Amino acid sequence: MRRRGAGAGYRASLYLLLAPYLLGVVVLVIVPVALSAGLAFTAYDGLSAPEWRGLANFRELAGDPIFAIALRNSLVFVALTVPLRVAIALGLALLLNRPRRGVGLYRVAVYVPTIVPSVAYALIWLWIFNPRYGPLNLALASLGLPTPAWLIDSTTALPAIAMTALFQIGEGFVVVLAGLQHVPEEYYHASALDGAGRAATLRHITMPLLAPWLLLLTIRDVIVSAQSTFTPALLMTGGGPYYATLFVPLLMYETAFDRFRFGQGAAMMLLLLVVVGALILLAYRAAGGWGYEDEV
Amino acid sequence: MTSRSASARWPRVLGFHAAALAVAAVFLVPGLWVVAASLRRPGLAPPTTIEWLPDPVAWSNYARVFEILPLARYLGNSLLVAGLAVPLTILVASWAGFAMAQLPPRARYALLALAVVVRMVPLTAVWLTRFLVLRELGLIDTILALLAPVWMGSSPFFVLIFYWAFRRQPAALFEAARLEGMGALRIWATIAMPLARPAVAAVALLTFVQYWSDFMNPLLYLKSDDRYTLALGLRVLQQLDATNWPLLMAGAVVMMLPVVLLLVVAQRAFWSATGPDRPGTGRRLGAV
Amino acid sequence: MRRLVLLVVTVVVLGVSASTAQPPSTRISFMVFGDIAEKAAYERLVADFAQHQPQIHVSLVHIPSQGDYRKRLGVDFAAGAPADIVLLNYRRYAAFAARGVLEPLGAYLERSAVIKEGDFYPQAMEPFRWQGALMCIPQNLSSLVVYYNRDLFERAGVPRPTDDWTWDDFLHAARALTRDTRGSGRIDQYGLGTEVSIFRVAPFVWQNGGELVDDPRAPTRLTLDAPLAREAVQWFVDLQVKHHVVPDLVEEKAESSERRFLNGRLGMFLNSRRGVPAYRTITSFDWDVAPLPRRRQRAGILHADAYCMPKAGHAKAAAWSFVEYANSLEGQRSIAASGRTVPSLRVLAESPAFLDPGFRPQSSRVFLTEVPFIRAVPVTEGWIDVEDLAGEELARAYYGRASVDEVIATAIQRAAPFFKGSARPRER
Repeated sequence: MRRRGAGAGYRASLYLLLAPYLLGVVVLVIVPVALSAGLAFTAYDGLSAPEWRGLANFRELAGDPIFAIALRNSLVFVALTVPLRVAIALGLALLLNRPRRGVGLYRVAVYVPTIVPSVAYALIWLWIFNPRYGPLNLALASLGLPTPAWLIDSTTALPAIAMTALFQIGEGFVVVLAGLQHVPEEYYHASALDGAGRAATLRHITMPLLAPWLLLLTIRDVIVSAQSTFTPALLMTGGGPYYATLFVPLLMYETAFDRFRFGQGAAMMLLLLVVVGALILLAYRAAGGWGYEDEV
Repeated sequence: MTSRSASARWPRVLGFHAAALAVAAVFLVPGLWVVAASLRRPGLAPPTTIEWLPDPVAWSNYARVFEILPLARYLGNSLLVAGLAVPLTILVASWAGFAMAQLPPRARYALLALAVVVRMVPLTAVWLTRFLVLRELGLIDTILALLAPVWMGSSPFFVLIFYWAFRRQPAALFEAARLEGMGALRIWATIAMPLARPAVAAVALLTFVQYWSDFMNPLLYLKSDDRYTLALGLRVLQQLDATNWPLLMAGAVVMMLPVVLLLVVAQRAFWSATGPDRPGTGRRLGAV
Repeated sequence: MRRLVLLVVTVVVLGVSASTAQPPSTRISFMVFGDIAEKAAYERLVADFAQHQPQIHVSLVHIPSQGDYRKRLGVDFAAGAPADIVLLNYRRYAAFAARGVLEPLGAYLERSAVIKEGDFYPQAMEPFRWQGALMCIPQNLSSLVVYYNRDLFERAGVPRPTDDWTWDDFLHAARALTRDTRGSGRIDQYGLGTEVSIFRVAPFVWQNGGELVDDPRAPTRLTLDAPLAREAVQWFVDLQVKHHVVPDLVEEKAESSERRFLNGRLGMFLNSRRGVPAYRTITSFDWDVAPLPRRRQRAGILHADAYCMPKAGHAKAAAWSFVEYANSLEGQRSIAASGRTVPSLRVLAESPAFLDPGFRPQSSRVFLTEVPFIRAVPVTEGWIDVEDLAGEELARAYYGRASVDEVIATAIQRAAPFFKGSARPRER
């Protein structure tokens, strides 16, 4: 629906309303990102002035085995969690889409872990994963199943942290639900009239229409997963055992605030962003672009 | 929904509830374990089987957690920050969303793209250099450092929520108001906002949760013990006694209870504003 | 007439205010680390100081974790606002001294009328001299000792540790105290517990006649691969890997060794004097301290914390008043009352204020008999990083993930860049 051309005065007052937000974005996001990009090429310890180092930071990182481990861990974490999270969000949204009796309660149940604050969430899982006394291993033992050492064993530590991420799919759940709501009823009526079963409806109607939402969700999730490991790793394992759960954000924090090397910390973050950006581009190409356009 | 015979519907309804209950159990049972763990007397040898309710029940753990640390003050600080952040965020985000909804298409799409791009920027990319910016502004160790994100509506997502809400409102209302000579601010205040109550409730809930849970910002920007928020307090609790599980779980419960309760209370508005059952999509509102 | 009255009034007012003038109240901050009981000890010190000099207001900043402490200090320096007095361990202050952010306190000490350098144990003072200048005033010096649960020893029929007990006696006691007391098929009481770090292993290396580094004054490399040092490390690792007298990794993460000791489920725990305030809260059993068991020779390891003043502080005179008070007889007595310290003031350490057997540990004299044999680890800018890295490797062997030779080799290689001379290019 077209609006009549807004009067210049009206337009100006709209921009005034926009001003605080734009100012905030500039000061809180654009300037720091630019500073970060700049710092990555310097040596800065927070006390004396930054010293230009060109590409030296990146060259050091390329030869640093600890950074290689951190980058690998971050990528493995993303590869492990993103597909699962999107699949779980999709599955739950399909299950809880129809407005049946009680569906609201189920939806809330699904969202509860997402709303638990990250510090509390990490401590809770630290207890649940405790190999000797935590309820998870106690439950597994009572069922006669093997009881791994979870956060203490370097092979299961990263998967354990990945598992905790699988419960916090509230945002994705909401996004897919929104996407499902956008599918007009007529489509379902038409497909039923054609005699299509539920599986066929799902494949030929729902999924293609959901595709752009799922793509958006995947991209957002890749970005979130690349950096959401900070609090869990810091509180649950400190990056151990023996670097098994060292991720780039944690390494960046340690490098900047423990070794006072802000420049190298910024370089790490830049590298991670580049890698994540490449992943996103890959996802975008693989999905064949946006496809179905809709007003977002 | 296509019509089916009543006899064929029952198994499907049962099937749905079975599946949904299983899902809900998986998501909620760990919470029960945590509450049980928080009520166990510290100092006892830890349990050897899953304990749904310890014996004796040690409510004193909750008192102890408040004794060891000035947790009440931390809680107060968290409440203060989150409480201030909510109205400020609603203000900035709804202004921005309103402006975006009213502007002509080109400006609108540019701002939408900006919002999406900003949303993609991870906190860890700006966290370090924001520290340097805030240091220059002399805001380290102040509540203003924690509240700084309100300037951008706390998150572009909130701006988008308001944008969607305002776009759904009938354009005729705004045209009529403009013809009467009302300015943007008045239209926002008297027409747009009252109609966007679900959006306001959703943003209020999400903002409160965001600031209540915030750990990385206080970790970096706060130094004085009396300014700490609950998130930092829990971390300190862990450092004081890393394997005192009953106390740590009690602390975790103290931190998560308020937001979980808020979710349960405000969920109706939350769903209707963020996506499912959005008014205007032609579907019936979900039963609760 | 009115002008005269005004003049008189002014003179009177000025005169009165001049004679009763209080210096304006100064606010300074004092940053410390430690657990709750240690924090309480410092709070008492601050309160006592407030009685002594009410016009200086000291606020206590408490960071429980040593790991976070360094980060916090770093952030504080970067933000340009460090605390006015900072408690620092001798292994950690060098990094800050090297960056030139600490105020040398030698001159203040010389000018002081309350305390003199000769009053302190030289072993405590020495590590805090950086390139000839005294940087901080030490409050304590402690060795590593063995805290033991008297009741468990009695119940198991194990004789109490003597002053000259050996590694073999020590191991024998630990084995006797490691049992399954509940008959559940799993060990729930261990004979020994300790932090797994190079700092804990060091005195054993020295007792065996080995060395940690090639030259303690100017170290360039770890020498844990030398036979005597290696033997000591193997002995330490064997406590877990071979004899199982200490909790394994899973048990340690489930319930820490120190917490087991506090709950009466651990026979012996290795710690410095730092643990005493927390252990004094124990009511369910009797405990005491014993010297470290010895081998070829006696050796103890220095634990020392000192009061340092960042250069960026804005109220140095007031800060020095507090440092001076805290290290005077009165101040050190206040802290010693909590049990936290072995006072660095000789007179006080050798007095009943510290030695009174009415306060646990009864055998506090053990700390003093160790003093002549105390050795310090090297004090260099990168030493704490060397300790951290080598400690990570040591933990791998201790918990059975790798062999001792493997981890020693890796530790030497990883620690190499952190020794002076081949230090990583520092951001400056």
